[in-house]
Amino acid sequence: MQECAWGWLIITYLFLAGVGAGAFLVAAASSFLAPDWSLTLRRAGAMISGPLVALGTIFLLLDLEAGLWEPWRQIYLVSNLRSMISWGVIILSLFIPVSLLYAASVLDIPKVSLKLKKYEDLLWYLGSILAISTGGYTGVLIAVANGVPLWNTPLLPVLFLASAISTGLGASLICAYIMEPDAIKDMTNFAVTHIFFLIAEFVTLLLFLFISKTRSIETAQSTDLLISGVFSPYFWGLVVIVGILIPLVVSVLEYLKIAHVPKPVVLTSDMSTLIGGMSLRALIVLAATIPHIIL
Amino acid sequence: MPRYGLAIDTTKCVGCHSCRVACQNQQKLEFKHAFNWISEVERGKFPAFGKEFVPLQCNHCENAPCQRVCPTGAIYTNDDGIVLVHGNRCVGCKYCIEACPYKVRFIDEHRGISVKCWLCVDLVAAGKDPACVTTCPTQVRIFGDLDDPNSKVSKFIAENRAQPLRPDLNTEPKIYYKRS
Repeated sequence: MQECAWGWLIITYLFLAGVGAGAFLVAAASSFLAPDWSLTLRRAGAMISGPLVALGTIFLLLDLEAGLWEPWRQIYLVSNLRSMISWGVIILSLFIPVSLLYAASVLDIPKVSLKLKKYEDLLWYLGSILAISTGGYTGVLIAVANGVPLWNTPLLPVLFLASAISTGLGASLICAYIMEPDAIKDMTNFAVTHIFFLIAEFVTLLLFLFISKTRSIETAQSTDLLISGVFSPYFWGLVVIVGILIPLVVSVLEYLKIAHVPKPVVLTSDMSTLIGGMSLRALIVLAATIPHIIL
Repeated sequence: MPRYGLAIDTTKCVGCHSCRVACQNQQKLEFKHAFNWISEVERGKFPAFGKEFVPLQCNHCENAPCQRVCPTGAIYTNDDGIVLVHGNRCVGCKYCIEACPYKVRFIDEHRGISVKCWLCVDLVAAGKDPACVTTCPTQVRIFGDLDDPNSKVSKFIAENRAQPLRPDLNTEPKIYYKRS
């Protein structure tokens, strides 16, 4: 029996918030690790992170019922600090302005950037903490819902965070390519990051499946839906092959220089991490199986 | 203060659904919505088999997951131990629906808020029993104060060793079942 009150609006929100948080972390990491040759990537990541998370938040608000028709009710959203949504509202309302200010500082906008430059380090620290919070919180949000045993595992926030970073890197690279196609002459240096986070995501996903298969009757049912049931073509096709294996193979070929990988192939593999990230969240939400209450 | 709860004797339930209809009447619900319903479970193997009717509704949990996750604080437990929803605070985020393991909530699409059984709190305040209790032709349901050891409901639970549904979920429900 599958029953889920949340649908595509929440799935899209979980995905966009993850990509936005990941893109910020990519920008922050580039400025920390390689300030000289990764400027375009840093600008791209900073530029897309705020708008993506803000767009995700719009999807979240569209899913509300009375809170959408009577928006003043949203003032109550931070009333209960035992609720992950209250924490989410706080995290998002801090992350969106901080990431937009960081982007304004990095993007060299006349007048604005100069004023913000002296705060750039502060924005970097704050933004990085808030980006990790945003990426992880989307997982915790659903991990604490007792009504769906599949989600009740601390592995879920880890899985979502790993996926957030690999999709964030994919989105930032695509954006960097659009901004300055020649700036990134060789993407080999980013391939190793891709390899690391795709493997982290894959290992966490495997652990999640193995544990869910044995944890309870309900989680085993949900896992069966994913690996051999109605969702299996999407799971193996979109999440595992398109979302993880194809970008992993492309990144390994790139990194080890086994074969010359043309830029369009690299960008396609970046696009496929995005398809994988969206599919992963969709399937985990849709494969929800409710507890068997009459034993 | 009392701590109201129910005992349900499934061995007496004949599955007539009058509790559901009485509740829909009392709460003026549309026919497609219900705050309580009957789940049918087949037991045993041929030729010794039978059907068990299990009436379900909000369990008014002591440790209510819906109340824990509600971001607006719209869900609260009143002094009588009844879990209620503040209609003017709820934003309809559906987090409580996801958090409830018993899946007793739904969205009232006209008001845009999450609703569920509220144990006929208006009737209870007037000293009466909830509508599902008074209407049941086989007297499956017993309503009363769980904290009073001499109440009918407490005696029934003690005598029959009635248990809540899925006590392992640690929600501490206030509805106890005598099962066949």
